[in-house]
Amino acid sequence: MKKTILNQFVGFFLILFTPFLSVAQNQSACQPSNSEASIRQFAGVQKKMEDLVNLGIPGVVAGVKTGEGTWYSAAGFSRLEDLTPMNSCNLQYLQSISKTFLAASILILKDQGKIDLDRPVFDYLPTELASWILKSDQMTVRMLLNHTSGIPEYNYLPEYITVLLQDPEHDFTPLDYMELIKGKEPDFEPGSRYSYRNSGYVLLALMMDHLTGDHAKFIRENIFERLGLKSTFYQESPDYLEKSALVDGYWDRYSNGILENSSYLQKQNVKKMVGDDGLVTTAADGIRFLEALLSGELISQESLAEMKTWVNDSKGTPQYGLGLDLTTLGGKQAIGHSGGGLGAGSQLYYFPEQKTYIFLAINLATVTGSPIHKKAEVVVNELYLEILKGGI
Amino acid sequence: MEKRIIFFLILWTASFKAVAQESPTPDYRNFPVTITLQFQSFSLPFKNLGSNFKNMGIGIGTEVSHNGDHDWIQEFSIFWIRNKAMGNGLYLVTQTAWRPYLGNPFFGELKAGVGYKLAFRPSESFIQKEGKWLAAGKKGKGMLAIPIGIGLGIHDYSESVYSSPFINYQPVFLKGFNQDIPLVPETIFQLGTRTHFNKLIK
Repeated sequence: MKKTILNQFVGFFLILFTPFLSVAQNQSACQPSNSEASIRQFAGVQKKMEDLVNLGIPGVVAGVKTGEGTWYSAAGFSRLEDLTPMNSCNLQYLQSISKTFLAASILILKDQGKIDLDRPVFDYLPTELASWILKSDQMTVRMLLNHTSGIPEYNYLPEYITVLLQDPEHDFTPLDYMELIKGKEPDFEPGSRYSYRNSGYVLLALMMDHLTGDHAKFIRENIFERLGLKSTFYQESPDYLEKSALVDGYWDRYSNGILENSSYLQKQNVKKMVGDDGLVTTAADGIRFLEALLSGELISQESLAEMKTWVNDSKGTPQYGLGLDLTTLGGKQAIGHSGGGLGAGSQLYYFPEQKTYIFLAINLATVTGSPIHKKAEVVVNELYLEILKGGI
Repeated sequence: MEKRIIFFLILWTASFKAVAQESPTPDYRNFPVTITLQFQSFSLPFKNLGSNFKNMGIGIGTEVSHNGDHDWIQEFSIFWIRNKAMGNGLYLVTQTAWRPYLGNPFFGELKAGVGYKLAFRPSESFIQKEGKWLAAGKKGKGMLAIPIGIGLGIHDYSESVYSSPFINYQPVFLKGFNQDIPLVPETIFQLGTRTHFNKLIK
């Protein structure tokens, strides 16, 4: 009898602690294998990451890949409530960097001869949905990809924001986002100028659903599996964001420097977004993707050239390609994308002059203003300068 | 549904003046005790009405009339609302109400005013001081509140203690929520009653 009780206790404790052993193993596997040379080279970058944390950002992750090697590191916390350290293998919200994945998948379809970038999106949409979007017969796939379509934006509509914040469980479907802009005139004549629109990428995801059956499955099969991105996730299941490695998100609700855990709101929001958002990944997987994309591993050289054909902003500055952003960081030209949400901000860029890939993520919302942001912007710029000042 | 409600409210508002002139003004007693049940939501006026009923609150107040006809009233109220998603709120509000009588014992009401909302957070918050993260509780921020309301009630005067039940709907605009949303809309459904006590007759 005693032995039976003892066995039950042992069994109970094994069941109780097995998940912790598993987590502990995962955590040790997360330690980045940075070379001594890279640790010395990027000591200044590590310092800048610590500076960001000291400004009030909960946690920061950075990844760097040059011709000579890689360096991954973290600072601060992935969860403030129990001071869980941020780790370079934590899953980060990509937010709008997801657009680059969607654009790449559309270019894959183009390479397969299934889509013409210069045909109106009307031709590739279900009839009813096409009728909701005014002038969809004049908006080409290319215009939606490079934000020159003029499609009205759903993301800033007060009737969307209020429901999102007051009723996070509200079951938004992709069609619901389009219904918010149903029958509204485009903000300008399709193709006449550049203006960033999340709605365009939602419509493109719906277009892909119509063409392939499931755009998320297409992305998983043609990008994640093809590149071996084992720590990148997008709409595998309704609860695909319920992962312990995913960072908690925080936001400065009242713009006064006091942070609230926004993870519930963030997950409810991100998991319902398609095309314009929705992916989570690690720093290493993020860099692997951008490198594969820009080296022509995923799409043809012709399609890559299309992606890097920039449209100008209102000042005449080249701004955006097809799911790729052209910008300047640390004084250097960068190609990639950035993203921001209710609990995160992220940047994934390639610096052609330095042949360097950089992934940077924080678990503080960037879509709501905070006094923390202004000081952090200066430090982020210094961080890029540190990374780009020399190779490993 | 929402369009029908808006149409009804416009029609009803437009009829106030004509009806008011035909109806005699009943007697009135200042400083009743007003008890209210509130249903609040972070939403645009007449949008997403169902979400109001997830967030309930209670309030207490009083009022005083501005004129002999008692159709201009100054209301004072304090109320607390529980809102799990957006955080609870404590409101201190005064409103000037135009309360035309629609025919004994019914009155309509249009009102506007000013107030203060002390907003709380839905979860614990944190602030970093000298490199350490400290819990900052759930207290949020005080904001200027601008309520505008429309209502309907019963005023059946009696020499003894009498009650006056009412219902109203109020869009409330909060100023200075954060850097990105300077003016935040809320809506409040309010059910309540004003109890006019005898000892306070003047």
